[in-house]
Amino acid sequence: MNRGPFKLPLIIVGILIVFAFPLIIRDRYFQHLLVLSGIFILLTSSWNLLAGYSGLLNLGHAAFFGIGGYSSALFALKLNLSPWIGLPLGGTAASIFGILLGIPSFRLSGPYLAITTIGFCEILRLVAMNWVSLTRGSLGLYGIPPLTPFRFSTNFSIQFVSEQNAYYVILIFVFLTLILLNRLIHSEFGIGLESIREDELGSQSIGIDTSRYKLTVFMISAFLAGFAGSFYAHYVRFISPEMMALGETFGILTMVMVGGLGTLLGPVVGAVLLTFLSEGLRFLEDFVKIDIRFVIYGGLLIATILFMRNGIVGLFKKVAKPSESNGR
Amino acid sequence: MESLFLQQVLNGLIVGSVYSLIAIGLTMIFGVMRISNFAHGDFSMLGAYFAIYFVVLLSGWAGWVGSLVVAAVGVGLIGFFVERFLFRPLLTRWTDIDIIMLSIGLFILLENGARLFFGAAPKMIPDPFQSKTVNLLLFSTSEIRLICLLFSCIAIFLLQLFLTKTKTGVAIRATSQNRNAAALMGINISYIYSLTFVVGSALAGLGGVLYGTIFAVFPMMGAMPTLKAFAVTILGGMGNIRGAIFGGFILGVAETLGGNYVSMQYKNAIGFVIIILVLLIIPQGLFGGVEKK
Repeated sequence: MNRGPFKLPLIIVGILIVFAFPLIIRDRYFQHLLVLSGIFILLTSSWNLLAGYSGLLNLGHAAFFGIGGYSSALFALKLNLSPWIGLPLGGTAASIFGILLGIPSFRLSGPYLAITTIGFCEILRLVAMNWVSLTRGSLGLYGIPPLTPFRFSTNFSIQFVSEQNAYYVILIFVFLTLILLNRLIHSEFGIGLESIREDELGSQSIGIDTSRYKLTVFMISAFLAGFAGSFYAHYVRFISPEMMALGETFGILTMVMVGGLGTLLGPVVGAVLLTFLSEGLRFLEDFVKIDIRFVIYGGLLIATILFMRNGIVGLFKKVAKPSESNGR
Repeated sequence: MESLFLQQVLNGLIVGSVYSLIAIGLTMIFGVMRISNFAHGDFSMLGAYFAIYFVVLLSGWAGWVGSLVVAAVGVGLIGFFVERFLFRPLLTRWTDIDIIMLSIGLFILLENGARLFFGAAPKMIPDPFQSKTVNLLLFSTSEIRLICLLFSCIAIFLLQLFLTKTKTGVAIRATSQNRNAAALMGINISYIYSLTFVVGSALAGLGGVLYGTIFAVFPMMGAMPTLKAFAVTILGGMGNIRGAIFGGFILGVAETLGGNYVSMQYKNAIGFVIIILVLLIIPQGLFGGVEKK
């Protein structure tokens, strides 16, 4: 993203359009895809914070998503905790595991860290599969309560079961996240992260406590992913260990790479584009009788790295003024 | 009790020999080119499918042995094109993230492409021995599994011979130790890269047939050998071929013993626990890895 201030009018128009989406298009399936895009934006943005800004290649990101989902769902199912409390709790639970994954990152980098994170995620998935008494194993948890309605008085309350209202909730969280991330990456902390990405030893020599930075960024990223997981659990109301599958992480990173690694808007563009693209390509199933979408994911990822290293946002930055690359 | 233990060790060695074979390819490619190929196991998957389609052409023995050759040659050829057209262009901007992302893209493409072409249902590579069992002194196993152990040991032995006794093999090892010095000694690095990737892929294909003979063949099978091979590679030291050989056997035995005495459900977690422990305690692996670039 450009370093200067946002162009205010453009932003306001953009926000209005985004808010009006579900009012213009009443199709519930379309609205459902919007909500999913929002959840994916939280995931891709948090992954991008690690891989794009800090150079920490985390291939176990789905673990945070899963931990958030499972802890929030279990709090609601076993302890009857309100999902609204479950959301931050799910994020917190994930960020505790973020510490666990942050510690190996002190010493490991590149492929070594990537493999460690995969191992971490797979172990957690196996736990979710096999701790049947708590998680019901591969059957998954169902009947997770939706976000409880806000009751203002006896005859006025806001429900969150409908796609439309869920969309507004996730939209607010997405905006908050993007504002937070925007401030974060332009702060001293964010610049410190980028310097660690470029040259770890050099950063240490100018007095950056790289371990503390890495731990903190892992916690923030994990919190956001866990939060997304909690929201997903209360929105879809069913979760299974497949939430932590390797393919889930790979989907997230494909979105980020296609959108633009290390940019604020790249993950947003990638998440929205690929969520809708993969649905738009469903018609192909009629011809080939099988799900061709993930073949396209793989092809897109390869093509991006070979021909479009900086993703769609990078491409826009090249041809247009930076501020015009505003994705939506 | 004792015979059960020995039985498990034998089973572990059989599975482990296949892990070794697949991991050697991975570790060679990493050692020489610094490519962490997350699609390595999918080369094994392709090899297994080549075998399934070839094995029916010839009856019995000839079909099975022939399928090993077909898988190795076929996957080696695919490896050649993958290296030339996908990884080679990245040589100039050589960052870990690019390489890993590319191999993940390949992983997604191959896995789902295979589902498209071969169907999602698991298949078996026909056993030329009609699952006859053999009883050795203390343990029994099916003949085909023993043959798998034998074949992978032969392949590993031949590879070691190639790497230590031929000029090309020595050149590969030299490149792995120090690319620039090797280039200064007149070694054609570009050729060595191609050759290493082809040999590594061929080994994955070969290992895939054996893996598919022991387990089942399905489009999503590739992830397991990839992760196991990474566990083995890290255990033995990234880029260290001798390490990969021993690491494979160690992981195989650890898995069967762990599966039997600790917990069957968590058998597949053993490899990951090994990865994490080794990287935290002895990051260079048991046998020492290549230096980081």
